[in-house]
Amino acid sequence: MNIIAAEFTALTGSIHIGLAALGSAIGVGLIGKGAAEATGRNPGAAGAVRNIAIILAALAEGIVFFAIYLAGK
Amino acid sequence: MRFFALIVAAFAILSLPLTANEAPTAEHATAHAAAAHDGGHEEHGLPNAAPVLFKIGPLPVNSSMIITWVVALLLIGLARRATKNIRASKDAAAIVPCGAQNFWEFLVEGLHNFLGEIIGHHLVKKTFWFFATIFIFILATNWFGLLPGVGTIGTGHVDAKGLFHLDHPFLRGGNADLNMTAAMALTFFAYWLVLAVMENRHGKTGAEGVLTGIWGVLKHLFAPKGKETGFMKWFMIVIFFAVGILELISIAFRPVSLSFRLYGNVFAGENILESMQNIVPALAPILPIPFYFLELLVGLVQALVFMLLTSVFTLLICEHEEEPGEKAHH
Repeated sequence: MNIIAAEFTALTGSIHIGLAALGSAIGVGLIGKGAAEATGRNPGAAGAVRNIAIILAALAEGIVFFAIYLAGK
Repeated sequence: MRFFALIVAAFAILSLPLTANEAPTAEHATAHAAAAHDGGHEEHGLPNAAPVLFKIGPLPVNSSMIITWVVALLLIGLARRATKNIRASKDAAAIVPCGAQNFWEFLVEGLHNFLGEIIGHHLVKKTFWFFATIFIFILATNWFGLLPGVGTIGTGHVDAKGLFHLDHPFLRGGNADLNMTAAMALTFFAYWLVLAVMENRHGKTGAEGVLTGIWGVLKHLFAPKGKETGFMKWFMIVIFFAVGILELISIAFRPVSLSFRLYGNVFAGENILESMQNIVPALAPILPIPFYFLELLVGLVQALVFMLLTSVFTLLICEHEEEPGEKAHH
């Protein structure tokens, strides 16, 4: 019984990180999609779009690291 | 300059045994995996914290600290070397930069223009030293951590099966230590506070200026924006006060997320390289190579992200709301 319980705690930890990774991967993907479309529509603004995309992607990505450290508890 | 040649030579020599050490025989890789299984739920790969090598008084010195010192020394030395002969040139033809000086000028000028586009001409003059240092240092540390020999040379123990386990590598990616990234994030945070007060002084100096600055920052966070009157004005005051509290929480989390993001990326990268070597024993020499290039990219992007985020945070607090009087000038 204890072994099963231990396995499940390990499992929830992984699901927790996996869901966070899934969410932020979707987020980063949407940001990339938006950035690519924006650049295609207005190639002159490529520099500004790239900066915004990098910043937003970093913010979306940061969630996974919170999840990893919180799962470690 | 002999000193640097010596350092480079030392690293070249140090990395020689490594190729032998890393030459991934199937036996080595499977033994590694088996050892990991023996360790129960202990993950194989990099430990979360950098191993402590020795202590100076009460201060523990770990392998990540050593690599930051090495990188800092290298950067200082290279920069000094590149700028040593600037003043010596007398004729016009010799003023045209070349070699190391040209490289550093390209880097610094490129960064200056890049930052100027983001945070504006006024702020970039004041804060360029900080953001450029952050970028160059993080980039150098990340890429230095990818050199062969970092994390693979050190002392260890031999287990019952006669396998060698590396316990204390002499070097480890500098940003693969949460203390390092937290230190950088907190330094930025302190600088951000000072800069926020200084930029909100509205032309006053001395103690009065500081008080005005603090009041300006508080107004920046809590004061309502917009021009409602009557009941809506009071409503907006309440709303924006609540927004200010949320803003405070988000500001308090910034150093945490900055340090976690950099540490997480670099640490995960080192772990991936190691796992890729162990995952398919037969492909061990080939499999990490694409990830190695991914790590080169991640090192650059994370340095860029750290610089961009810190500069945008600075811009957010230093931006002045245009006052009616000021608007007439535009």
